[in-house]
Amino acid sequence: MSATRIVALIGFVISVLLAGGVETLSRRAGSRIPSLAAICGFVMQYRAGKMPVGRIAVYGFWWWLGWHFFAR
Amino acid sequence: MSMEQQPAVAVEAAPAWDRPLVTFPTFALMALIGGFFPSFSVEANLYVIVLGGALMWLGLSGRMTKRSSPARLDRAALWWLVPAGLLVAIELTDFALGSTYGHPTLSVLADPALGHYSLRSLAYFTWLGAFWGLVRR
Repeated sequence: MSATRIVALIGFVISVLLAGGVETLSRRAGSRIPSLAAICGFVMQYRAGKMPVGRIAVYGFWWWLGWHFFAR
Repeated sequence: MSMEQQPAVAVEAAPAWDRPLVTFPTFALMALIGGFFPSFSVEANLYVIVLGGALMWLGLSGRMTKRSSPARLDRAALWWLVPAGLLVAIELTDFALGSTYGHPTLSVLADPALGHYSLRSLAYFTWLGAFWGLVRR
């Protein structure tokens, strides 16, 4: 296994662990850190006029992610 | 442009089928079916397009009961940039370097695992569950 691959793997693992840590902190009583779900909900409220731009963007990204991993 | 707070409840009553007792086995069945379709196949493309399209339509239609979301975020939300920034930096760097074995992106790392039916079905279930969570937001 090449060194660059190991570095990438370690980096991905650290980012996942960090995300888990931030999510855990967000769920503590009185935490000022919003959960990931709250951030998604906040972003999805964004509108341009009557167009739910935030909702379309978040759904579109998740839809594309599914297609990218399962179909492409 | 405007930022409007999502009402706590978008509809008067949730649909009768909007219960974990119904959605959980439904998504499990969909995931078990999705696990059969290999990448790059017409079936896999159609399946993910239909499922994603249906969930996106449900989310945009206003038929679902939605949970309340914060009208504004505390500055502490910036902590999320640490893991997200690291993930994006590695992903973009490896993508720019060709997304190869030596410089793997997430999809390159996931492909071998998604070749196994059980792991593919589990990933499908996770994707559907998270999509459902977004629809309910």
